[in-house]
Amino acid sequence: MHLVIKLMELLVVLLLGTLLTTRGIPWLLARCLNVVGVSTSFSPVTEKRIRRFKAIRRGYWSFLLISVLFVTSFFLELTVNSKALRISYDGRTAYPAVREWVDLFWVFGDISSFCKKSDFGQVGDSEVDYRQFARYAAEPSLARSELEKAKSDLAAERSAYLAKNPEPGAGASQYQMRRHQRQMEKFAKRSEGFAMLEKTAAVFEGGRASCWMPVYPVGPSDLRYDLPSNPPNRPSLEQGAPFGTDLSGRDVLPQMLYGFRISIAFALVVSVLGYAFGILVGGVQGYYGGWIDIFTQRFVEIWGSIPFLFTIMIIASMVQPSFWMLTLLMVVLTSWLGITYYVRAEFYREKAKDYVQAAIGSGVSDWRIITRHILPNALVPVVTFAPFGIVAYIGSLVSLDFLGFGLPPGTPSWGALLRQGLENVKFYPHLTVIPTVALAATLYTVVTIGEAVREAFDPKVFSRLR
Amino acid sequence: MHGMTSYFIRRMLLIPVTFVCITFMVYGIMRLAPGGPIEQARTQLLMAMQEGGGSLATSATGELDLPQEAIEQLKVYYKLHRSIPVGYLIWLGVWPDDDRQGEFNGVVQGDLGMSYRYSEPVLTTIVSKFPISITFGLIGYLATWIVCIPLGVKKALTHRSWFDTTSSLVVFLGYSIPGFVACLALLLMFGTSLVWDIFPLGGFRSENWNEMWEAGNFWWCVRDQAHHMVIPIIGYVMSGFATMTILMKNSLLDNLGADYVRTAFAKGLTERRVIFLHALRNSMIPLCVSIGHAIGLLFAGSFLIEKTCNIPGMGLLGFNSLVERDYPVLMGILVFGVLIRLLGNILSDVILALVDPRVRFE
Repeated sequence: MHLVIKLMELLVVLLLGTLLTTRGIPWLLARCLNVVGVSTSFSPVTEKRIRRFKAIRRGYWSFLLISVLFVTSFFLELTVNSKALRISYDGRTAYPAVREWVDLFWVFGDISSFCKKSDFGQVGDSEVDYRQFARYAAEPSLARSELEKAKSDLAAERSAYLAKNPEPGAGASQYQMRRHQRQMEKFAKRSEGFAMLEKTAAVFEGGRASCWMPVYPVGPSDLRYDLPSNPPNRPSLEQGAPFGTDLSGRDVLPQMLYGFRISIAFALVVSVLGYAFGILVGGVQGYYGGWIDIFTQRFVEIWGSIPFLFTIMIIASMVQPSFWMLTLLMVVLTSWLGITYYVRAEFYREKAKDYVQAAIGSGVSDWRIITRHILPNALVPVVTFAPFGIVAYIGSLVSLDFLGFGLPPGTPSWGALLRQGLENVKFYPHLTVIPTVALAATLYTVVTIGEAVREAFDPKVFSRLR
Repeated sequence: MHGMTSYFIRRMLLIPVTFVCITFMVYGIMRLAPGGPIEQARTQLLMAMQEGGGSLATSATGELDLPQEAIEQLKVYYKLHRSIPVGYLIWLGVWPDDDRQGEFNGVVQGDLGMSYRYSEPVLTTIVSKFPISITFGLIGYLATWIVCIPLGVKKALTHRSWFDTTSSLVVFLGYSIPGFVACLALLLMFGTSLVWDIFPLGGFRSENWNEMWEAGNFWWCVRDQAHHMVIPIIGYVMSGFATMTILMKNSLLDNLGADYVRTAFAKGLTERRVIFLHALRNSMIPLCVSIGHAIGLLFAGSFLIEKTCNIPGMGLLGFNSLVERDYPVLMGILVFGVLIRLLGNILSDVILALVDPRVRFE
């Protein structure tokens, strides 16, 4: 029954992701573009290409799969997280996971998802132990029985201590007196929380507490103290860690999922920024030509000779780069370069054509000609190279993380897992196998998309005798 | 030919400019960034002094610190006491080095400085790693050719057949797995007892290789060396083979549709002769161009594969000196890397001009 509910939740999230990907986001994009004043209707040529792309089923389904998974991965905070979606205790209700999820998109500051233990019937000032809370909520008698057990444990410990060290009499030294007193204070301090836990047990038994946990109640940076052996733990379904844990005891499954989101987001941002800048530079080069072109071309050649991985590693070895800094480094050092060559050549070709000359002759501004007239016709290389660029950038991120010069330690990343896998290749193969399979599957899917896009947008017709 | 000569001369002239730009940029980044060798030496010395109970000065912030003159000495030792441009020019060898009686000692004179870590000239350190990286790069590159050309030809000749489609799946899988991840997976499968324990788990040679060599155990040595090289070489092949196979296939398909092939068939040549004597030779042109680019990889090695398989080549040297902040070695590797890459690009153009008379650079 429990499992069925979890599966239903998962299904709902996946459905939501699918709907968003196929309907919501395209609609929203079109709306936004229309507001800015860009027409979203495609030319007949492009429509034909898109139809051809959809006809290549392997590529089209890969595209759907990756985009649905990527969009769905933005709901990870709600599905794979140690925080509760909704927690209510004695009239007090909080939504920590939902707040964390909103914080992901909230750019104007931090939204705290912190819930204090003492507010939710636990002893202490740190974050609520949601797992324990969920256990009590599911089985209210547990709160009482565990409290009773803690009480009897303490009483047993106390009497054992007293039996071993009887209360010092009048003849005891100052030192013995003080030691005894301190020990008694310790016992008293431990029993202080009992009054509160008594109330907690009553609340749970009265059905005034409830908790709704995500489908997989472990986040990417949570340590699995609940597993019996020391980390790393091998994968085990019975223990509730289907992918095992890494060297520090963090669960591998959430790390893989969050790592997927980070990898794809990184590659997408690097591609989009790089393409925007590269198209601009290549377009200006090809449109104006002359000295601008020569100087920029020399610069591009020099810049392209920088060994970029090495340079990023040098920088990263000195300043720990954040996600955005690493993205910017990738854009500045490599991702804008490749596309300038193609866009420049396309612009040279297009500029010589009649429609551009006609536009120039009728006094249309340069910017408008570049963006509205030539650019749509020069986008074929951009579209065909994009998937392969994404493969390359995911590979770069994994390589950098693997070498230890990537995202900050603690960020869920496939490369860091691979590094741990290399260090423990003999004894913990799951640390290598899981990221390798995930990486190969993801990149293979993207390559399949790329092949289909190339086939659809830039078909090669080979004619051969025989 | 006049236009071509001047084109290559111009390309050659661009090398020093590019070289200076890149090395200056990296030099600047290294000098500006925090946590340099001084910081490292300071923490090390402080720890040593605290244990040994040496004399410590107290800095303005009240923390324990090295005396000022010690820091100055460290700066002089690490050659960090000059401003960035002057320091760079001294490193380059076009500015007199006051510490060495105004001599010019720099890259131009062939002096890359001393390694902080190994306390030997950088040039010696790097050159000692050359043979290893070159061996792997060369064999890997040759192996790529041996795999890719027959495969590409076969795929082109059987275009759209089941062989072509299924081998495309393999090729794309090879494209999507980075070389070092493939190495890691192979190490796991064939270096440990997981599947079949037949290859060593990384390393360049067995530990007792030199003893065996001196003992005259020639065949054992060769076998051991080959044994260690299989997995890294597969990694090298994986890095480039997908692109090359597809290049070969598409290039041959292009040529098979060309008019001269039609003519060759028309005058009654056998299919074998047309394909392997006429079309194949022309379709190798794009592959020849890749030689120049591959030379860069040949020397610089691959950080990732050398790190994964623990091969003490240039890549691993670069990685270790990065971790240990051995700046002179890093700059030395950068010098070789950039120069070889630039020369390789020009070499590609030269090869293209040599093998393809239709190509004209201007």
